[in-house]
Amino acid sequence: MRILLVEDEKNLGSEIIQFLEKERFHCDWAQNSKRATELLINNPYDFVLLDIGLPDGNGLDLIKEARTIGSEAYFFVITAKGELRDKLLGFELGADDYLAKPFSLLELNSRLQAIIRRKFGHKSDEIKFGSFTLDTAKKQFFFKQELIILTKKEYDLLRYLVLNKNRVLDRLQLTEHIWGDFFEDDFDSNYIDVHIKNIRKKMAKFDETKWIRTLRGIGYEFIMGDVTT
Amino acid sequence: MNLLWEMLLPKTKLKNQFALISALSKVLLIVLSIFVIPWLVRIVSIRETDDQLIEKLDQIYNLIEIKGIENFIDEEDNNQGFGSYNILKEEYISIEKASDSLLVEFIDYQQREIDGEIYEYRVISATFSINDQVYLLEIGKSIDTIVSLENKLQRFAFYFLLILLGISTFIDLSVVQILLKPFGKIIERLKNSNHPKQFDYNIIPSQTSDFIYLQNSISDLMHQIESAFETEREFIGNASHELLTPISIIRTKLDNFAAIDQLNEAQTQKLFEVKTTLSRLTKMVRSLLLLSRIENREYLKNESIDLIKLITAVKIEFEDRADLKQQSIQCIHPNENFTITGNTELLQILFGNLLSNAIKYTPEKGAISISIEKNLSQFLIQIQDNGPGIDPADLPHIFDRFKRFGVHKESFGIGLALVKQIADYHDFKIKINSKLQEGTAFLLLVSNQQ
Repeated sequence: MRILLVEDEKNLGSEIIQFLEKERFHCDWAQNSKRATELLINNPYDFVLLDIGLPDGNGLDLIKEARTIGSEAYFFVITAKGELRDKLLGFELGADDYLAKPFSLLELNSRLQAIIRRKFGHKSDEIKFGSFTLDTAKKQFFFKQELIILTKKEYDLLRYLVLNKNRVLDRLQLTEHIWGDFFEDDFDSNYIDVHIKNIRKKMAKFDETKWIRTLRGIGYEFIMGDVTT
Repeated sequence: MNLLWEMLLPKTKLKNQFALISALSKVLLIVLSIFVIPWLVRIVSIRETDDQLIEKLDQIYNLIEIKGIENFIDEEDNNQGFGSYNILKEEYISIEKASDSLLVEFIDYQQREIDGEIYEYRVISATFSINDQVYLLEIGKSIDTIVSLENKLQRFAFYFLLILLGISTFIDLSVVQILLKPFGKIIERLKNSNHPKQFDYNIIPSQTSDFIYLQNSISDLMHQIESAFETEREFIGNASHELLTPISIIRTKLDNFAAIDQLNEAQTQKLFEVKTTLSRLTKMVRSLLLLSRIENREYLKNESIDLIKLITAVKIEFEDRADLKQQSIQCIHPNENFTITGNTELLQILFGNLLSNAIKYTPEKGAISISIEKNLSQFLIQIQDNGPGIDPADLPHIFDRFKRFGVHKESFGIGLALVKQIADYHDFKIKINSKLQEGTAFLLLVSNQQ
């Protein structure tokens, strides 16, 4: 997967690149829209991560330009302007998704994976571990053929843990993922604990394996040697 | 003096106070006239009568001089006097010989018996001497005549007074209306100036220099407020916007740092603490940015929103959380159309914050209910819990930013400020009914635009 990052803030850009390369994306980095246009003309990117606050012009113009030269890249607009007007404008101009600053790299990864799965059809809709299957198209969870009823939050939580397998997800990241920004001013990690407890209970009925490891006071980690997707 | 005014005047518009004062002064004038006019008329008519009597006296002196006293009185007969009445006994003149030689001239009231009836007269009595003989001359005018004159005068005076009062009232009212019209407009405008964005700096024309001065002063003050407001707004907007970039950098660095496999548990714990703190900072900055965006009116309010759909969606978002506290959330609404125009994103935040608040403050196994109703002109949305209630002392500050109440010290108190801001932005009225130990209800009144 080829990604173009358009970000003028060096410190931020280098961290994003470092993360994406670790996730085995092939990355280019443009720090202004002129360079970005050059790169877009010469390379077929799958994704463009675009910070619209660029030193040489509005980043949104870049989307128009990219579309006129026939780029089929999936455009993520990164902006501090977490506002609907910009959002609508972004979508009208051909942006496909939207990330509000500051965003979590794991959240970015989870969205990239979802799009790869959905749009590019490179991966199947099913994630299997042990005898369990997460059907990401139908948003359902199975043990062999048997449906396990999860609440929406439980499903989201489990999917997020599985996608970020073998990585500690702290309760903050989990909260953020399942709650988004409801502009809550306090953080009660208790909810996550109870959700995890419920998920474990539902899985334990079928399988003795300790899939989810607890890091006391911090968060959880989904342990999996080989997740087949 | 001031106290007297305060007692006399109710707290009302200047225009009404003027009208009241004018009415009071007129009543006072009428009462005064009722007492004073008869008295004045009496004095005037008596004086007039007296003048006539004196004039007649002079005329009779002239007659006596020309015709001689003999024409009136027989010299020889001591008892014989001259007397003349007119037919209606309105006047009489009498001349007779006086017994003592004292010379007098005075006017007073006297009674006379004529043909067996007693009449009241105003009488001038004067003595004069001719050839050592002293005569007493009396000219009388009946009181009835004077009274009838008095009545005429009084009536005339009252009519005149009434006309004057009428004219003066008309002038008072119309002048007050015209002069105070700009003042009324100024007040009206001040009432509508709730937000610096709505300030109207146009000067309302007036002939009264005081009003022009007043308007200029208000206008200056409004300019100052607006510029202070703009500065604060810009600062908050810019600061929170600028803060997001360094926060993003720290955030991504921490994400990458957390991905290092060799971290031990203590290090992971520290890292988590840093992230938690950063998350609080992020939420604070985002909330401030959101508040300032709403203040800037940057959100469009033109989406057609089905309130029931929106509230139900928000409720579903929060159901898990209520379940975890074994709380019930009920949503009661009639099967009707509750469509408004507004901003979906903001309204989600509004109802989300209210619901999250209710879940947070309501103890386990508590009950939360959302009711949506409609009356003729309004939609009423009530979110009610049976939590501990809000201390009445805290109620006036419940929507203030960065105020924290009760046990939830980990929150930084911007959720309800946002609720209020969003409600105001959509012209929703918001009310709180809260009783300690019984619960709290947030009531939103939304005007039904259809």
